[in-house]
Amino acid sequence: MKLVQKVQVKNRLGLHTRPATMIVKLLQHVKSSVQFTCRKETVNAKSILSILMLAAKRNSRITITVEGEDAEVVMDQLVNAFDTQFGES
Amino acid sequence: MKVREQQVCLQGAPICRGIAIGKPFFFTLIEDSVPEFTIPKKDIEEEIERYRKAVERSRDDIKKLQKKLKKEKILEGAAILDAHIQMMQDPLLTQHIEEEIKRSFKNAEFVFHTFVSQYQKKFQTLADPFFRERFKDIQDISHRIMGYLRDSVSVSLADIPENSIVFSDDLTAFDTAEANVSSVKAFVTQKGSATSHAAIVAKAKGIPYVTDIALESLLELDQDGQVIVDGRTGDIIFHPTDETLEAYKGLKVELDRQLNVWGERESLPAETIDGYRIKLSSNIDMAEDLDIFHEYGGEGVGLFRSEYMFLSNDSFPTEAEQYSFYLRLVEKMRGLPIVIRTFDFGGDKLMLNPYFPAEGNSFIGCRAIRYLLKERDIFKSQIRAILRASRSGDVRIMFPMISTLAELIEAKELLNEAYEELEKEGIEDIPQVKIGSMIEVPSAAIVADLLAKECDFLSIGTNDLVQYSLAVDRRNHSPNQVHASTDPSVLRMIKLVVSEANHQGIPVTVCGEIAADPRFTALLLGLGVHELSVAPRYLPTIRQAVRSSCIVEACALAEKALMLSNAKDIQDLLSEEYMRNSPDDQLYNC
Repeated sequence: MKLVQKVQVKNRLGLHTRPATMIVKLLQHVKSSVQFTCRKETVNAKSILSILMLAAKRNSRITITVEGEDAEVVMDQLVNAFDTQFGES
Repeated sequence: MKVREQQVCLQGAPICRGIAIGKPFFFTLIEDSVPEFTIPKKDIEEEIERYRKAVERSRDDIKKLQKKLKKEKILEGAAILDAHIQMMQDPLLTQHIEEEIKRSFKNAEFVFHTFVSQYQKKFQTLADPFFRERFKDIQDISHRIMGYLRDSVSVSLADIPENSIVFSDDLTAFDTAEANVSSVKAFVTQKGSATSHAAIVAKAKGIPYVTDIALESLLELDQDGQVIVDGRTGDIIFHPTDETLEAYKGLKVELDRQLNVWGERESLPAETIDGYRIKLSSNIDMAEDLDIFHEYGGEGVGLFRSEYMFLSNDSFPTEAEQYSFYLRLVEKMRGLPIVIRTFDFGGDKLMLNPYFPAEGNSFIGCRAIRYLLKERDIFKSQIRAILRASRSGDVRIMFPMISTLAELIEAKELLNEAYEELEKEGIEDIPQVKIGSMIEVPSAAIVADLLAKECDFLSIGTNDLVQYSLAVDRRNHSPNQVHASTDPSVLRMIKLVVSEANHQGIPVTVCGEIAADPRFTALLLGLGVHELSVAPRYLPTIRQAVRSSCIVEACALAEKALMLSNAKDIQDLLSEEYMRNSPDDQLYNC
């Protein structure tokens, strides 16, 4: 199964080290492949170094692509994490 | 069209004479410069494993640190470390690097460092300074991983490309000992000194060595192409012009020819033009050195450094092991005399291996005879082994670093105990071996009269004597060390020791590095030294120096040198005299 959804970075400092750490931890045991696309650049969301390279600031738009058997659960969790500003709100 | 690089000449301090032409090889590294080499296909898995281990150890470090921070309630710090742990599990730092090692057949640190540099470049293009700052986290972990990688890499000078000029920050005696003469053509270092153990080993192998070269200055140079090392002047020449290259090639041929000619005179006696004969012997570290010693006609071993047999040992060899070792050594002497110096190393067992001197000032304190008199079992087992081996040849025993008469007396008492024990055990045919004392501490030189009465011979170790007299560290090159060997104080001490020994009718040997420098030969003859002990390779050079001197002139030279009041003047005097005696030598006359 392949799911695609757009989210917005809401927390003040953007996708910096801490949210990026949360994302990769969340995806650590996930079976699906997960990618983030931001300003035409697509990276592996399981790689913290790659997420940081996106340098996604507040209000950046990110396209999440999840492909695999647990895609639905994974997408829900990710969208929720972005919405709750990774616990920083 | 390729523009030819200009010839660049750097000036260092010469340590070991000789000319070398070769390609640069960077050994130990300047901070942040990373070695690059190819890994054979069969070793790739091992290389990947090495990388994995380095990452794993780094991760464990951080986990430990994190635990500590959590315990101390520094939660913000613990959260940052969380990010570090995630980075070290990042597929880019794990799978990607491993695949890259497999693909490129390059060593892990090179692949890793290349990746981090590329990543850094990308980061620097980010518009947002906040994100640019994040690179610091990656730097932190990359330093840690690199640290573990370097730790585990065993780069050895035994296995480097042919015709290499080895550039390194510093070298240990272990490095130079491992160096393969057929591939290492010269050493160039930032730190080092002429009497360091690394230098002594390099000299014994005849590998040109220049120190005091700032490695940073090399970074701007294109390091391809040939480099010339002039171990006589300390010149390092990059991108030599055809003219320079030809001149040095010619000089090298000439020097090799000269050494060959001298080497073939092995059967000629070490005597001056006017018939004054001295004994020319050798300093030996390993039994293998004896082949070249015999080839060059050495008359005996003036100094066998027994502690070097620890190179391949982690623990003290037993008496039986030592006995069979000494026996083999004595048999290889073919009847010529050998002076075995008892172990010279420090009190800390970590310093057991002489190639790895401990941090701090290991030259003072519980070393050599002081250590042996404290660890009497070790001392006695060595003495017993030597005495037993002495039944098969002409063996003599020398005690290192004697500084007082009391130490010598105590050592002799222990020797007598060993005799008595062996006799009780039924080993009776042990000859009365000759006993000598090293003179390498100024106090010993001053009481040479007292020591001479208790000894059969004295041996001056000038390297340490200079270090202790002038308070210069023999491990590091420094301006005040350059002329230290010709300091009036050193000359006067040699003179004093020789006079006192003559008074007692016992011979004096000089076994320091100055004995192997032909410019000192006439002076030492003139001071009345009876025996010169040098690394086997220097036997031909020193024989030649003796044979072109005249004892009457040498005595006048010594007298003149003793009247001079500073080291530089004395050195100039010696150089002039050598130039007059051996005008054809191009190795030392410059």
